[in-house]
Amino acid sequence: MAKDLSRVRNIGISAHIDSGKTTLTERILFYTDRIHAIHEVRGKDGVGAKMDSMELEKERGITIQSAATYASWKDVDINIIDTPGHVDFTIEVERALRVLDGAILVLCSVGGVQSQSITVSRQMARYKVPRIAFVNKCDRTGANPARVTQQLRDKLSLNAHLMQLPIGLEGEFEGIVDLITMKAIYFDGENGETMREEAIPAEMAAEAEGMREAMLEEISMFSDELMETLLEGGEIDPRLIHDAVRSGTLSLEFTPVFIGSAYKNKGIQPLLDAVSSYLPCPTDVVNHALDLADEEKEFAVSNDPDDKLIMLAFKLEDGRYGQLTYVRTYQGVLKKGETVYNSRTGKKVKIGRLVRMHADEMEEIDSCGPGDIVALFGVDCASGDTFTAEGLSASMSSMHIPEPVISLAVIPVDNKAQTNMSKALNRFTKEDPTFRTYVDHETGETIISGMGELHLDVYIERMKREYKAEVQAGAPQVAYRETITMQAAFDYTHKKQTGGSGQYGRVAGYLEPLEEGEYEFVDQIVGGVIPREYIPSCDKGFKKSLAKGSLCGAAITGVRAVIDDGNSHSVDSSDVAFQLAAQGAFREAYSKAKPVIMEPIMKVAVEGPSEFQGAVMGSLNQRRGMIIGTVEEGNYTVVEAEVPLSEMFGYSTTLRSLTQGKAEFTMEFATFKQVPKSVSEELIKEYQEEKKNK
Amino acid sequence: MAERWNPCGGLFLQISIEELTGMGKEDLITSNPLRVLGLDNKAEEGRQSLGLVMARAGLGKTAILVQIALDSMLRGNRVLHVAIGETIEKTRDRYEDILTKMVEDLNEETESDLSRRRMIMTFKENVFSRAMLEERLKDLIQQDVFKPDCLIIDGYDFDGNGRQAMEDLKQLMAELGISVIWFSAVSHREDPRTSADGVPAPCHTIDDLFEVVLVINPQDSVMKLDILRCAYCEVEPGTTLLLDPSTMLIQKS
Repeated sequence: MAKDLSRVRNIGISAHIDSGKTTLTERILFYTDRIHAIHEVRGKDGVGAKMDSMELEKERGITIQSAATYASWKDVDINIIDTPGHVDFTIEVERALRVLDGAILVLCSVGGVQSQSITVSRQMARYKVPRIAFVNKCDRTGANPARVTQQLRDKLSLNAHLMQLPIGLEGEFEGIVDLITMKAIYFDGENGETMREEAIPAEMAAEAEGMREAMLEEISMFSDELMETLLEGGEIDPRLIHDAVRSGTLSLEFTPVFIGSAYKNKGIQPLLDAVSSYLPCPTDVVNHALDLADEEKEFAVSNDPDDKLIMLAFKLEDGRYGQLTYVRTYQGVLKKGETVYNSRTGKKVKIGRLVRMHADEMEEIDSCGPGDIVALFGVDCASGDTFTAEGLSASMSSMHIPEPVISLAVIPVDNKAQTNMSKALNRFTKEDPTFRTYVDHETGETIISGMGELHLDVYIERMKREYKAEVQAGAPQVAYRETITMQAAFDYTHKKQTGGSGQYGRVAGYLEPLEEGEYEFVDQIVGGVIPREYIPSCDKGFKKSLAKGSLCGAAITGVRAVIDDGNSHSVDSSDVAFQLAAQGAFREAYSKAKPVIMEPIMKVAVEGPSEFQGAVMGSLNQRRGMIIGTVEEGNYTVVEAEVPLSEMFGYSTTLRSLTQGKAEFTMEFATFKQVPKSVSEELIKEYQEEKKNK
Repeated sequence: MAERWNPCGGLFLQISIEELTGMGKEDLITSNPLRVLGLDNKAEEGRQSLGLVMARAGLGKTAILVQIALDSMLRGNRVLHVAIGETIEKTRDRYEDILTKMVEDLNEETESDLSRRRMIMTFKENVFSRAMLEERLKDLIQQDVFKPDCLIIDGYDFDGNGRQAMEDLKQLMAELGISVIWFSAVSHREDPRTSADGVPAPCHTIDDLFEVVLVINPQDSVMKLDILRCAYCEVEPGTTLLLDPSTMLIQKS
């Protein structure tokens, strides 16, 4: 029997670091009977919250990788992806958002909407993810859910409205008033598992009535029936309210706000009800795949179990059970033992085991269908691959993947560490497309690159812990790029014919700037002046030359190499000879093509009390930053700027001392830009000296 | 290619990038229809002026202000765009949008040069006050972050602020060496009040404080930009510029 998709929710829990996402997930799992005891994130019991399955996450108290887990609330199946809150890991957040249908935006009732929430919100908007908000930590000193709701409206431009009122706040936070049922709810029992409904405390009745009216007025926009009932002044059926909230939420025009304290076990069950009632099921959302057989034409996936299978691998994990591949099914059914196709590689893959993940425990299942998020065992693939049934050539649309901006050298301490490091790097690069690695042929060092210092730190730690690869890490370096700015011709002959078998190859053509992409090779050879078998050798030679530019040793990108003439020798020409000829040709033309150095520019947002605004802008200005603008919110100011990454090292310390620790900043990659002349000269000088000292 | 406005013909302002560099950039400046307002010469003489763009809601005041700002930036001035009740992102998009309509394939260098001449300051509607603006402006100037020559204030509440507030702003201009401030104001169809020069409410009682007043005037299928007041104009008040209704670019006099 086909599964009723209206009872499936694929949701993410996404928010600012330290707003309590992991604790909230832990409580959700507890109330849905997935776990039987509650552990804290930084738990004294040494067990740690369920979702932080990686050791490192337990130690740091932060969630690094999004673990997928399954829970069932009343008659609804909920797949939860716990997502990291630090901006360095946004690829994880973005991947999670790609496979989700809805999300809970968790906010701290004290900290409110912080810059990271703005980034996450922007990402959710990019993937059109409907969301509900949960204002957590209402038991904390300074808790103010009304202020946070106002911030959602002001800072994130969400049409947010409180659906509940707190009964007491801070240390006296006792329960909530539900503005739909107009009842007070208290959470009894050791872990808040028993909900007790009472009449609204008399002193809150008027406030609750006012808030309900305002809320009804707001949501009546989404239901004509509700609006009519309101105008007629009749009794309002709660179903009408639920439908209107759901419709507003799905159209991204309304964000219902719920409150509670995960730590104090308050407000979680109503939140789960809201997930079931207001967040979309897989059929409420239209997802698109690309038809590889028809020029990548976009088509909507059907969610129909009878259609051919389409399934996206959105996450790989190498754990104690071997390689796990998390997949989301969009249409069709996959049964254990079946064979599917990887549409990127074209290879057949047999699915031996199928499991439903529950943090780091698993449950064997026989099949999965549309909307399911499950894990496959022992499948060799990369993150982002699409699996389909035989005869269907489709791929889920590609994901937005930013270029790495920072790199550092990692040196294994011994041979064993060397072997383990290779294994680890191989795994990480498959798991995370923003994490890259290569060997610098001049120094022999292994270089890793990624989206920020913390991003790389985490992988170094994982190498040590998960792979026992003890490595020494060098200082972080900005990932500069070199590129050319004009066309330049080459005509180069590589010739070594001094006795014995010689080497001969001549290539001629030109290099020119490539607008988009890293490298392109164009073969315009006519009449076989370079034999066909040596054309790939030329391409290979150019590619090798791209690894290191002559200005500052950075990788070269944005080059089109065109060959249109050449010569060969019947005996002395070889693959190697043409590779070397192409390298010589590249050297010859590169300097004539006016190469320049490009640097990563970050979009930086600094948020803090307005009194420090001048100082903050001054500090960004000093760092070659370009102030884009400021957002004045009364006592708070957000300064937005574009600043070169190379100038941002140590900025957190500067900002702390400038603002007495009252301001915070986030940054994300914006673009690559040419470095100014003075900086370029400095980089070239440094590189020359470095080469001299080798 | 160059298909641009000229005082006699009247094609709209669109120019290729080759022309934006060197002489081309000069051309773009000199051929800009905004020249007729004559404000820039006065600014160079050290004179300070206030400008006002009025229209009913949703007719494109911001598009006109952005063209005025871009013209000023192209002439080498720094512009602080104060957007009340608007986001940085949207305001920035408006600039990019108008610039792409004005110039085909803008190169990175010119774009970055122009962006450095502009800063956006956004205020929540209920947060903006003259005192706060003054504080922020002084901060910017003292910290040597940005010293604007021209201020664009989009979304100023003329209903809630009277003559004194405007005079205070004029004084602030003098203090901080700002040569021109342009405002936008919303007029209402149902409010028939006007000044002697025809400046609609709510600015009809303070129109003498403005050197230039422009009103967007939609008529049948054309959009007109009426010059109601113009202290240093090369043209008579009452002259009309045309707006391209799809791009809101200023076309001709």
